[in-house]
Amino acid sequence: MVVGEVAVETDIIIMGGGPGGYAAAIRLGQLGKSVVLVERDRLGGVCLNRGCIPSKALIHAANQYQRLNDLGKMGIRLSQERTTMDLGIWQDWKEGITSQLNQGIAHLCKENGVTVVKGQATFLSDDRIGVETDGDFETYKFEQAIIATGSRPYIPSFIKVDGEYILDSTASLLLQEVPSSLSIIGGGYIGIELGMAFAKLGTKVTIIEMASRILPQVAENLVKEVTRNAKKLGMNIKTSSKVEKASVVDGHVHLQISSKKQGSEVVVSEKTLVTIGRIPNTEEIGLNRAGVTVGEKGYIAVDMECRTNVPHIFAIGDITPGPALAHRASKQGIVAAEVIGGLPSAIDSPYVPYVIFSEPQIAGVGLSREEAEQQGYSVKTGKFPFSANGRALAMDETEGFAEVIVDAESHILLGMHMVCADASNLIGEGVLALELAARVEDIALSVHPHPTLAEGWMEAAEAVLGHAIHIVNK
Amino acid sequence: MLEFKLPDVGEGMHEGEIIQWLIKEGDAVTQDQPIVEVQTDKVNAELTAPAAGVVKKIFFSEGDIVEVGTTIFTIQVENGMPAPETDMGEEEIQAAQSGDVKVNAGHITSKPHLEAVRVLATPFVRQMAREMKIDIEQVKGSGPAGRITESDLKQFKENHSITRENVYNNDNKILQDKATMKNADRAKRLENEWEERILLKGIRKKIAEHMVKSVSTIPHVTHVDELEMDRLKEFKNQLKAYSDVKDIKLTFLPFFVKAIVIALKEFKTLNASIDEKTNEIILKNYYHIGIATNTKEGLIVPVIKHADQKTIFQLADEIRKLATQAREGKLSIDQITGSTFTISNVGPIGGLHATPIINYPEAAILALHKMEHRMVVRDLEGVIRLMMNMSLSFDHRLIDGVTAVHFTNRIKELLENPIRLVVEMR
Ligand SMILES: Cc1cc2nc3c(=O)[nH]c(=O)nc-3n(C[C@H](O)[C@H](O)[C@H](O)COP(=O)(O)OP(=O)(O)OC[C@H]3O[C@@H](n4cnc5c(N)ncnc54)[C@H](O)[C@@H]3O)c2cc1C
Repeated sequence: MVVGEVAVETDIIIMGGGPGGYAAAIRLGQLGKSVVLVERDRLGGVCLNRGCIPSKALIHAANQYQRLNDLGKMGIRLSQERTTMDLGIWQDWKEGITSQLNQGIAHLCKENGVTVVKGQATFLSDDRIGVETDGDFETYKFEQAIIATGSRPYIPSFIKVDGEYILDSTASLLLQEVPSSLSIIGGGYIGIELGMAFAKLGTKVTIIEMASRILPQVAENLVKEVTRNAKKLGMNIKTSSKVEKASVVDGHVHLQISSKKQGSEVVVSEKTLVTIGRIPNTEEIGLNRAGVTVGEKGYIAVDMECRTNVPHIFAIGDITPGPALAHRASKQGIVAAEVIGGLPSAIDSPYVPYVIFSEPQIAGVGLSREEAEQQGYSVKTGKFPFSANGRALAMDETEGFAEVIVDAESHILLGMHMVCADASNLIGEGVLALELAARVEDIALSVHPHPTLAEGWMEAAEAVLGHAIHIVNK
Repeated sequence: MLEFKLPDVGEGMHEGEIIQWLIKEGDAVTQDQPIVEVQTDKVNAELTAPAAGVVKKIFFSEGDIVEVGTTIFTIQVENGMPAPETDMGEEEIQAAQSGDVKVNAGHITSKPHLEAVRVLATPFVRQMAREMKIDIEQVKGSGPAGRITESDLKQFKENHSITRENVYNNDNKILQDKATMKNADRAKRLENEWEERILLKGIRKKIAEHMVKSVSTIPHVTHVDELEMDRLKEFKNQLKAYSDVKDIKLTFLPFFVKAIVIALKEFKTLNASIDEKTNEIILKNYYHIGIATNTKEGLIVPVIKHADQKTIFQLADEIRKLATQAREGKLSIDQITGSTFTISNVGPIGGLHATPIINYPEAAILALHKMEHRMVVRDLEGVIRLMMNMSLSFDHRLIDGVTAVHFTNRIKELLENPIRLVVEMR
């Protein structure tokens, strides 16, 4: 890097240090490029600081907390003192995790020669950006750029997030006390994950969802178990319902809700969480000065190499069309970095797994049964319920099932989905199987360790072939 | 390595012709240096180097027609990194805005990623395909249930590079008998269940050569008209008794030859050629009419010499003899060279109109189509007439559209009124 009078020159500028941006930076560093990574807030982006990691830390704590109630039947006697949750201490614990990860990323950047600059980046032209840090302004000249500015919660105009009564997901993860009641606008995966966690911590949770069921993006058969559990946890789920108005009255949030069935009603809760989607951070970064065009909803369209319409400017992560998931952002970051480095890299697979940390967890990859049928496959499916799995019983986690979807002719796997405890860890096998174009026999014939939940895949695969051992084959 | 793909230089063009390479393989080029001239049906464009470097490989020859998005040359970029390409045109930006991502020349490597389709191959094999610059979707998998394996890629690469070399090498190499192709070993490797290879040789090869030369040299334009044949048919029938006596099978063709010769005498540029070396137009005062004839081996054009000096019956006789000889492969070189104008009689097979290719170096060719009864309007009434179409392709360098129409009008006039034909015959 040469510091000139006017602009600092570098091979590559990366705007945004989330899982997309930092992965790209590290990979470029490995490839011997000079890289400047600009982040206005904290390395790790939403994922590390306000998303995946903190939410999972909360969910884990909530699971442990709730678990205590069920330990009696296993013979564990707790002292008579009431179990309590101190969210303040949890905050410190969570902060410990995120700062450890932050430092890890900073260290990796440093070791790979990446220069991390703190500040708000904007394009000045198609080969220059400006970075504003506490009133200072510095310009950088680049050969190539990667835009990875991520997304933020979408808040409809009739609601104002104040961080105290009306929260977005970020604010909800900063609470110092468990709220007594919480209404959640939006029954997508973030709403359900956080809603279930708070419900386990004792919060009275109401979910208001416009669609006819929660988790509308996920295949219906996978969601049933979760819906049942939500009710068991005392959650109040209002589907086909729309929030018309939100107001804070005497320290409580009043949500005016209308639904075809029930008409109009008011839900009162201590706090409200708005999770109805996310919007890309593409408005204030001077894209027009760089000639980068955005689509209708502010997303930047890219090709398989993650190039935008301006060939030397790439875009990755939540700002590109597709599921807003951290692992997709990282993969794109690595691909963009490799393409810049002259390697023949590309996003060449339709398989982006999804994981929902609900109770039980849902995870999957590939086509659902309906999708496969719509695409003209003749489909066979095999399903294995965890109530027939020894380990699940021993863990007292017998809910859910594993399901494999195969092409009836070739027996090639088309999709693998599951709803069960630890589905998030078990889906790895599914991803690998689909990427390797495995046949259902490949899974059925592989020895799976016993006793594990992973045996569920093997049994589901055997069920397709008509010879599962631990269930009656129909 | 930077692949340069043929961009859409016209509005929505699909293909272009490589007119001229301004560099050759191994040349060092600077950014924006003109590299190749490409012509589309609308524009003639000079394409420039997207980056400085060394031209590694040129995939097409001058005269080749190339589809938009196909790599036409590669550049080894100076620093080994693809440099930014030229900016997008206005339309492309609009296209991108409308959500229809059209990426710029030089990197139309891929579809929008959301369209990434499943290929039955492991991630490693897919990566390998990219390294080998193979579009994996084109590869047929030999593995279980059609999975693509590493060896499928290698196989594909081998076949593919040979095909490329064979088809796209310099100057009509397609027509040249490649020594490599004779190599038995190699031919074996070419065996591929998807294609069959037959060496281009003999008459087919000559035809191909001739066609390529003709089309690439002469700007062809085709003009179509229709003839009413009832009177000519009646006239021919009247002559039947006479021809039977002479034991000559009279067809329509001799009448056409006659009418054409009369018209050619009046429109001299149609019985002409261009001498490209001396830059002269040669108007010919002799009328050697080629009759394109279908044979087992392919198209052969026996020539009726001095057609203007022969009678209808003489022509009929000669045409029959030449056709038989052609079919038997007994024509001498002399009998198939020297025509000044060619008739292609495709009528017996069928078809409405065509773009006949001029028999190089002639100036025009007339194709006669199927004769059939059609409903036509005469005096504001629908009537049934024996109709026939004719398509005239002509060398637009020499002949203007108007002249071509006058020429066919004249033929029409003579054939629709056989009496006039007789009167004007010499
Ligand atoms: C509550 C919650 C839970 C989630 N759980 C999961 C999960 O379990 N699994 C999963 O895969 N995904 C999860 N996600 C989604 C995941 O967080 C995102 O998909 C991921 O963070 C996207 O990464 P990114 O690199 O595109 O952008 P981001 O992580 O959004 O990072 C963008 C970064 O760019 C910075 N930035 C923006 N503009 C500028 C600028 N002009 N100059 C400098 N810096 C700028 C921002 O400060 C930010 O740090 C969750 C999200 C939320 C909100």
